[in-house]
Amino acid sequence: MRKIFPPNELARDERFVRTKIEDRVLDPRNMAMMERDLGSAKLEPSRPAAADRARSLMHGIFVGEIQALEGAGRTCFDFDDEDAPFALKLDMARQCWDESRHVEISVKLSEWMGTEIGEFTESTFLYEAACADDPVLRLCGVNRALEGLAIDVFNTMKEFGDVSGDPVLEFCEDWMLADEVTHVKMGSDWLRRLTEKDTERRNRALEFQRTVDKIFSLGGFRGEGDENPIHLARRFRAMAGFDDAEMDELAEIAKQAQADAEAMAAAAQQGGAYGA
Amino acid sequence: MTITVTPDPFRLVPYHTATVHGLAVDAARVTGFPDDVDVALEIDEVLPHPLTGTFVDVLGDPPRVDMWMSGANFEDPKRPLQFQHELARAELARAFLRACDRLRPEFGNAPADEELSDRQRAAWDVWTEGRAARLGVPATRPDRLLYHYRLQHGFNDVADAVFERLWHADALTWDDLEQACRDTDAADTRERPKRTALRKEQLRAPKPDATPA
Repeated sequence: MRKIFPPNELARDERFVRTKIEDRVLDPRNMAMMERDLGSAKLEPSRPAAADRARSLMHGIFVGEIQALEGAGRTCFDFDDEDAPFALKLDMARQCWDESRHVEISVKLSEWMGTEIGEFTESTFLYEAACADDPVLRLCGVNRALEGLAIDVFNTMKEFGDVSGDPVLEFCEDWMLADEVTHVKMGSDWLRRLTEKDTERRNRALEFQRTVDKIFSLGGFRGEGDENPIHLARRFRAMAGFDDAEMDELAEIAKQAQADAEAMAAAAQQGGAYGA
Repeated sequence: MTITVTPDPFRLVPYHTATVHGLAVDAARVTGFPDDVDVALEIDEVLPHPLTGTFVDVLGDPPRVDMWMSGANFEDPKRPLQFQHELARAELARAFLRACDRLRPEFGNAPADEELSDRQRAAWDVWTEGRAARLGVPATRPDRLLYHYRLQHGFNDVADAVFERLWHADALTWDDLEQACRDTDAADTRERPKRTALRKEQLRAPKPDATPA
């Protein structure tokens, strides 16, 4: 069986349709959207299209959980015991169990919200972060960056469930949030242990984490302002082992990502769109 | 009856004005929309999925119908920018059903769409979707609408019973919809927001001549 499984060969049935991150960045509507005052981006029941926004985000969580399961599973298999100690693989196996449960919870939550499996598009860039050939990079890209993002997303959805009086959503998100804190902590612990005597490797891994964080803050998706739908969950991130300096840096990365996306959208706009 | 569709042509999304017009004509026929009322249908091509939204209002004398729809209402959620016929057909049928309602005297005292509360709008949407389903309009989804409705009316048995009542109703008045809202409001124990915005937040861009509140 081959190592490092390519993202385009992940098994999906005909319900799933994939899009590339470039499609989103180069969407000809982006610039006009930025010029439109749409108010706060915070997910609240009183905001226009609140139900569709929440359903879309929930489906994004669902496919993210599938890919997190696939990524953790690959890390159990792709490395020998010298590259990745058995205890690390045991942690990844435990994470697979958690992610499987999250997939099942997400399917039921999606049904609860009136969403069908595959109703929305899937991007595979979460799994792509789990294709690094160094397990430490994977732990930084997936466990610290992406599971960290999951903390922010689940906390946002939990708050949405609370405000909208949806006991099912609030309860389920709270349980999954607890698991995500554990997954991030696993990443932080293994990063420290595996790079204890190799600063260069640690720096390379942290740089990879910053890159992943920037991609996932794309276009202001995450940040600390009213214009960001997903907010940094500082309290839960602190529980997972992030210090204040790391969280401040992440907030800065998010701001940069938003500025970059605005610049790319402006460039795409100049390149023309449809019609006359 | 004249139906005019704007923009013509679409510049940001690969939608075709003639296609939308054809589907609108079909929706008018399916919903029994009167022959002597003109319709101006504006599609806001800037908004992507999931930023969906529709406003339907009756203006002037003789009456004409003004429809505004987000381009996201017609966009395939799996394939950004792609027009989805079945979705568009269903969205237009809903809009024409609500236009028919507004042309009836029993809806004469209904506020304009931008002035409706989220609760009122969600109740009206349920009644609309129920009728669309009975007309055989594809892509009508009670489960999907139930979540949208519960966000505004509450996650409780009273709200669910009112949902069933609205979904299966054949003929309602504006007063009936208001009564439904009062019923769910009385059973809703959720905290109300302490502040309300001066202008209700909308996806629709303010018209150039609109005076700020």
